[in-house]
Amino acid sequence: MSAQSETLFIQHFKPSAKPLDYYLKSMSGYQMAKKALAMSQDDIIAEVKKSNLRGRGGAGFPTGMKWGFIPKQSKKPKYLVCNADESEPGTFKDRDIMRYTPHLLIEGMVIAAHAIGANSGFIYIRGEYVVEAKILEKAIEEAYADHYLGKNILGTEFHFDLTVHRGAGAYICGEETALLNSLEGKRGEPRVKPPFPAQAGAFGGPTIVNNVETLAAIPFIMSRGGEWFSKLGKIEKSGGTRLFCVSGHVKKPGVYELPAGSVTLRQLIYDHCGGILGDKKLKAVIPGGSSAPVLTADEIDVIVDIEPLMKIGTMLGSAGILVVSEDYCVVKLIKRITKFYAHESCGQCTPCREGCKWMEDILERIEHGHGREQDLGLLLEIADNINGKTLCALGDAAAGPVTSFVKKFRADFEAHIRGGKCPNA
Amino acid sequence: MPKCIIDGREVEFTPGQNLIEVAKKGGVAIPFFCYHPGLTVVAQCRMCAVEIEKMPKLQTACSTPATEGMVVKTKSPRVLQAQSSTMEFLLINHPLDCPICDKSGECDLQDNSFKHGDAYSRYTEERRTYLDLDMGPVIKKNMNRCIHCTRCIRFGDEIAGIHEMVAVKRGNNTEIVTIDGKQLQTEYAGNYADICPTGSLTLKEFRFKKRVWMLRKTPTVCEGCSRGCNMEIQQDANVIYRCLPRENMAINKYWLCDEGRFNFTYVNSKERIISPMLKEKENLSDADWGTSIDLAKKALEGKKVAVLVGSDMTQEEAALLLQFLPKHLPNSEVFHFGTPGVLSTKDDGHADKILKMKSKTANLNGLEKLGIQGYSKLPTGTNAVFVIRGGRAVLPDLGKVTTVGYGVFMKPQIDRFAAILPGVSFAEKDGTIVNFEGREQKIRRSIVPPGKCKSLSEVLMMWANRKVASGAA
Amino acid sequence: MGTKILSNKFYSQMEKLEPRYPTKVALLLPALHAAQDEFGWLPPEVMDEVAVYIGIHPAQVREVASFYTMYNLKPVGKYHLRFCTNVACCLRGSDELVEHCEKKFGIKCGETTKDRKFTLMEEECLGSCGTAPALMMNDDYYENLDIPKLDQLLERLE
Repeated sequence: MSAQSETLFIQHFKPSAKPLDYYLKSMSGYQMAKKALAMSQDDIIAEVKKSNLRGRGGAGFPTGMKWGFIPKQSKKPKYLVCNADESEPGTFKDRDIMRYTPHLLIEGMVIAAHAIGANSGFIYIRGEYVVEAKILEKAIEEAYADHYLGKNILGTEFHFDLTVHRGAGAYICGEETALLNSLEGKRGEPRVKPPFPAQAGAFGGPTIVNNVETLAAIPFIMSRGGEWFSKLGKIEKSGGTRLFCVSGHVKKPGVYELPAGSVTLRQLIYDHCGGILGDKKLKAVIPGGSSAPVLTADEIDVIVDIEPLMKIGTMLGSAGILVVSEDYCVVKLIKRITKFYAHESCGQCTPCREGCKWMEDILERIEHGHGREQDLGLLLEIADNINGKTLCALGDAAAGPVTSFVKKFRADFEAHIRGGKCPNA
Repeated sequence: MPKCIIDGREVEFTPGQNLIEVAKKGGVAIPFFCYHPGLTVVAQCRMCAVEIEKMPKLQTACSTPATEGMVVKTKSPRVLQAQSSTMEFLLINHPLDCPICDKSGECDLQDNSFKHGDAYSRYTEERRTYLDLDMGPVIKKNMNRCIHCTRCIRFGDEIAGIHEMVAVKRGNNTEIVTIDGKQLQTEYAGNYADICPTGSLTLKEFRFKKRVWMLRKTPTVCEGCSRGCNMEIQQDANVIYRCLPRENMAINKYWLCDEGRFNFTYVNSKERIISPMLKEKENLSDADWGTSIDLAKKALEGKKVAVLVGSDMTQEEAALLLQFLPKHLPNSEVFHFGTPGVLSTKDDGHADKILKMKSKTANLNGLEKLGIQGYSKLPTGTNAVFVIRGGRAVLPDLGKVTTVGYGVFMKPQIDRFAAILPGVSFAEKDGTIVNFEGREQKIRRSIVPPGKCKSLSEVLMMWANRKVASGAA
Repeated sequence: MGTKILSNKFYSQMEKLEPRYPTKVALLLPALHAAQDEFGWLPPEVMDEVAVYIGIHPAQVREVASFYTMYNLKPVGKYHLRFCTNVACCLRGSDELVEHCEKKFGIKCGETTKDRKFTLMEEECLGSCGTAPALMMNDDYYENLDIPKLDQLLERLE
């Protein structure tokens, strides 16, 4: 089943004392930027469109199309921002890209900046990634020294300044407009859209915000062409390989790189990750970071990609796959997830600010045996009153899991309510 | 003009207008809390969610500009459900203290709860509570009642120009504060209470004074400076309780400064002279109107009189006086006074970046239009002064010259007066004032003058008609 | 403002960063990080100095600082232990690690030991799910933990 397939990133995920030397030697570093800087902006965007690269941060928006939204002429400076907030629970791939191949990301950003006409860029990295931020800063320094960044990059007319901007502990800053506010020195509160960042983003200028993995894929596309990249994907509309983050109750958790659309959840869990810890039974899988609605053990024969997962009512998100074995309490799990969203709600909009905490309180009661029969109906209604009614996607991210857990594991909740305690305890 | 359809009705709109405004124009009220036409749109409360054809999700009307042919439903089952759920969310942590809340009766939360809320609550968890915060002399903050609309934060930032009201922490724990219990610095703090859609920010002056539905409202104009902000006097049983701004986009938009808002307090002041008074020997004592006018006449007639008219008087009062003087005090010269250092409209100008003007009286421009010169010093040979003022114009130092005063005076101001004829304040008369831009506006009588206070026309009439044999006091 | 509390190093660091941002307010997060590096937390007078440096109202600094969990608005211990207790770590037994520390130090999460040596906190996802359970101590991650490994780590600390 798991025939060896071509990988782009993962073979390079190893510590290296001199990441620039490694990058130049083993990955033909900065050759793709050289190539791209000689190309027209339209040609690069066309190539990226051809590649079927879709955003790896969670929404899965076609990257080339996003770049195409940037106005050619703009009175205000344009910006390229890398979303390295990687805060969706269950996701840890971008961290590997940044700590092992920082120059790959930098080169991707140079190419992207040229394509959209930005002379200034930021890597917004989550505050907890202190070590990774230092690695990036050092890599950027090296890149400046060797004229891969700064003025007249690689002897061309193109200038591009790149700065690492550290977050400070806020999940919501993974939302692109919250991220931009945070970059501007404000509270990380999402903005009202429209305007979208491509029209008015960072500091009011047209801005593209792309995920780390997305930007890091660009040099590969430049190197071997959009068509080649597109064909790496085994499913329509999804090009390239994907970094899957598998964690929880599997024998071999970690980052796995596989062609997009080439693998089912079952294959990923049992063939690649060695199955469930202690050879227990599978209870549940959250396929796209903790905001994705949960799947039961019967639902894992599904291709792990955007459309197939959407069809069965969940999502690929940031490809963070959380695996739960039979003896773990799912009520405790959804309580923990909901607590997270309540803690991370920025508090701007009513349904999210009030609703997430309300759901957490109810789940907390149920978990500890103080639930009431009507709580389950109430939970579903609260979730429904949040879903689709908030300013940003955090509301949906909080509501979807609650709805799916209550619907799919109703018996577990009822056991808590009727027994007056956790049956697993 | 482009048109859209709201609840089946065709409504014209100006491009750029949001759906709340367009609907309002078409006679449809969309409920909202965080939206305020004078502040940036944040779409946070979610109360104004509406259904728009071809859009899968409900959209917030405040942040959605109308477009040609857009079909909007504001009362569909989905919208009604969303409104009721937003109300539920807003109320789960809101205290049920409406009976003792000053906002009760004019509270957006209460009104929308009445229209869109449920009679019972499904919330059984513990409510979120906070301690009250003192925010200085003007405002008291009750965070329990706050619904996090952030209008106050935006007002501070965008209108008052000071980022002193802030949200700290986040999510369910977000609290709106001034840090470390600091007092509000802005001189426009009263607006915080006006724009608060609940009783979270209240005017200290007004707390527990009066139920708002007892108040009678008179639209008028502020006399605090030469801008002429539109406002409303609210009174009950002839006592003024508060003044609130009235919207006038050309003059003050939605706002009022604290100086103007609290200017009215002198009207009800215990220090105010509300009976005619005369000086006998060294002491002032109450007298009847007849005697007082006789004595005033005696003090002024036949003298070289400087008539000082406060620029807080109306056009009608000043015009009447200009007709009166040639016949009754022919040897007189008229000057206006009001703000030290502002002798004419040339000296007037903006005192801050918001509303305040340098002239601390409302009708400087009007008096100048009537040809009255600003007062700088008494003409040589002047041996009597007739001061006529409302409650605002700052009295110049007149030295020891014989002075008769008509108008609103406080006890400490009248030591050297020979006679005081108590007049009416801006709240007790009708009239016209002309603001710094030349805009004529009406002030309106909202209460009856206290005590024996009389209008200028009554007093001048008495003066003109009273036959006093010369020499007989 | 009288004498400056923040070091010259802070100001030179900020000077270097300033040209990278089109507005000075954008320096707020980096400035708070740098200030916290000096003091271990953000005393009010330090935040006020940051406000003066950036040219904003002190309240604006507080509203931003209090939004983010990594800015310490009260003092923390020499070793600031932040245990991830989010999904992946929780599935891998982070609760036991936290409980173990609470017992060991005699404090609850969010508290600091009396000798100011340890501050214990529950943290949201650290992005270390493949190597769960994980702990962030000061600036570093410690991963694939269990109780014996944690004890070993704690014993090494001065």
